[in-house]
Amino acid sequence: MRYAMKCHSVQKKLSAYQDNELKPEEHEQVKNHLQSCRSCRKQFAELDRVWQTLGELEEIRPDPWFHQQVVRKIKEPRKHGLFPAFERLFQFLRTPIMVSTILLIGIMVGSYLGSILSRSDLFPLQTNPPSYSQEVFFTSMRIFDPAPPGTFADGYLRMVRNKESETR
Amino acid sequence: MTDKTISSEDLMARIAKGDEDAFEILVNRHQTSVLNLIYRFTGDRTQAKDLAQEVFIKVWQAAGSYEPKAKFTTWIYRITTNLCINELKSSRRKRWFSFRGSDEGSENTIEETLSDDSPSPEDTLLARERSRQINEAFQSLPENQRTALILKRYDDLCYEEIARILDCSVTAVESLLVRAKRTLQEKLKIFEE
Repeated sequence: MRYAMKCHSVQKKLSAYQDNELKPEEHEQVKNHLQSCRSCRKQFAELDRVWQTLGELEEIRPDPWFHQQVVRKIKEPRKHGLFPAFERLFQFLRTPIMVSTILLIGIMVGSYLGSILSRSDLFPLQTNPPSYSQEVFFTSMRIFDPAPPGTFADGYLRMVRNKESETR
Repeated sequence: MTDKTISSEDLMARIAKGDEDAFEILVNRHQTSVLNLIYRFTGDRTQAKDLAQEVFIKVWQAAGSYEPKAKFTTWIYRITTNLCINELKSSRRKRWFSFRGSDEGSENTIEETLSDDSPSPEDTLLARERSRQINEAFQSLPENQRTALILKRYDDLCYEEIARILDCSVTAVESLLVRAKRTLQEKLKIFEE
C-alpha cells in the first residue's frame, strides 16, 4: 500500500517541491497528493503565482562599454592616502571611536560639574564648621579599636591617632 | 580561442597571467547575471552598475590567487553578494549621519526609457510600476532571504550551490526560501488590493 502524505507534511514541502529539490519519491508523493487535495492545490497555486509575478521584475542590460569602464578603472592609479592601512583600520573603528569619544566627553563634563557643585561656597546655608568632617572621621575610626597588634589595621589606627593628636 | 568553448575556470588561469582578451570574454559572459543580481538585491540601477564594475575589478585583482575548487559562478556570486551586503551596511551608516531620503538614480533616464523595447508608453509605465512594487517587496526581505530568492528564481541555482555561496547549510537555504516566499506572498497581495 502506497504511503499517502498528509496535508500538514505536504504543505511543509511545497516550497521545495516548487524548486524541484525533493527526492524523486517525495516529489511523486507530493504530486499525487496535490492531484487529490484542493486545499493544498490552492496553496501551491498561490506559491506559483508569486513565482510568476517575480518574473515581471525587469532585467537590466549592461552598458555596451561596460568592459572598457572596468579596464579603465583597473588601469587608473588607485588613490592611496599617506597611511592606507591606518585609513582602513580607521574606517572599521570609526563608529566605536565616536561612541567612546562621546562617552568620554560626557564623563569629563560630569566630573567637572560635580567638582563645581561639591564646593562648599555653593551652599551658603551650611552651618557645620570646616573641621566638622574631620572630627566625624576620627570618631568613626574609634569603633575599630582595639585592632590586633602588629596588623595592618593596628598600624593604620595608630597613624590616625597621631594625626588626631596633631590636629588638637 | 573560441569564446564559448573555453570554460570560465580556464579563462581565470589566463587572466592570472595578464591576458586581457580572456578578461574581456569573462566580463562579457557574466556581466548581465552579475549586474542583475546586484540590481535585484539593491533595487538601484546606478548603484548596480557601479558595484558590478567593482565585482570585476576584484575578479581581475584576485585572478592570481583564484583556485578552481568550486564552480566559477559560485565564486563570483559569493564576491557579488558580499559586496552587496557590505555596501548595504555602508549606506545604512552613511544614512545615519545624513538626512538623505530615498535612493537617487533608481529610475531610468529618459534615454533608457525611450530605448526600451516596450510596445507603448502605457505598457512601459505599467511594467515599471510593477517592477517597482516587486522591488519594494524584495527590499523588505532580510539580506540572506533576498539573496537566496534571487539566486533561486533568476539564476535557477540548486540549494546546494546557494548554500555554498551563502556559506550555510542546505536546510538553512530551504528555510530562507520558505520564509521569503511567505513574506512576498503577503506583500504582493497588499499591492494587488
